[in-house]
Amino acid sequence: MDSLKNTRQKIAQYQTDLIEQLNAIEVDAHWFRRVFHTFAASFLVYYLIPDVGWVGVVKIVVPIGIVVCIAMIDYRRIRGELDYQRFFGLRSYEKGRPASYLYFGIGMLLLLLLFPQQIAIPCILCASFSDPIIGESRYYLGKKQAYLIGFLVSLFFFLITWYRADWWAILAVSVVGATGAVVGEAQKLTFIDDDFMIQILPALLLLLVWQGTLFIGINILPAPLILPL
Amino acid sequence: MNGTNPQKEAIQKLLLRLELWFAPILIIVPLAVSLFLIWDWYARGGSVGLSRYDGELLLALLILFGNIAVDIPFLRSIRTLRKKG
Repeated sequence: MDSLKNTRQKIAQYQTDLIEQLNAIEVDAHWFRRVFHTFAASFLVYYLIPDVGWVGVVKIVVPIGIVVCIAMIDYRRIRGELDYQRFFGLRSYEKGRPASYLYFGIGMLLLLLLFPQQIAIPCILCASFSDPIIGESRYYLGKKQAYLIGFLVSLFFFLITWYRADWWAILAVSVVGATGAVVGEAQKLTFIDDDFMIQILPALLLLLVWQGTLFIGINILPAPLILPL
Repeated sequence: MNGTNPQKEAIQKLLLRLELWFAPILIIVPLAVSLFLIWDWYARGGSVGLSRYDGELLLALLILFGNIAVDIPFLRSIRTLRKKG
């Protein structure tokens, strides 16, 4: 009986230690993750690079190369060839699946290469700023208010980046885009990270809206915000 | 688990090292990008009265203030971790 009791105590202690250890990683890496998100807004400088000549080729090859390198490192981490503990900022559930930074990178790569900047820029801003704002608000105010704040912040990003469009297009695009961003962030999927969804879901919705209006002969896309050098 | 747990200490030390290594890049790059966008807006648009570059200014200010708002608690967290270390 005593040995059974001892074993139970040991298991309980082990569980407590493990949870505290995981919490230590998550709490301590908190601002590290937040600052990584806001840092990503710097990649908007991409749109200053001209599309002509070899620079235009580099503009496509380099981002793909960076994401491929990240994917290879993450693949080795998942296989256990690289020590999991060396990857700080990772959440416990990311141990056996691709990390959120990879999803973030793939999402941004798709936006930069496949979407017009008028759609990509507000989506990147949502991933860079709305995501951490929702995360912080959720901690202090609870889920509902966090998503409401996230919606308003995302709405603001779409409003200011589409300010040159017609007023009805600004309204429609902002509501659709902000809804897509919040749904993308709120909907937790097993294999697709919210860092990917917060960028791609609003982008796809806006692509549909844009193509739909083009189909009826109206181009709602405003002039680009950033003009190449 | 108390504060002297060697595994936890090792994690904290490694984390601190990694954060310190990344901190200058994470802080300086967004500031440099936003200042460059402001300069570009002024050189191509503001100084010659062209409003089509105003979007750059808008984005530059968003990147600048958005990053400063997060950099401050980030630096505070590093300082706290350094004290713990």
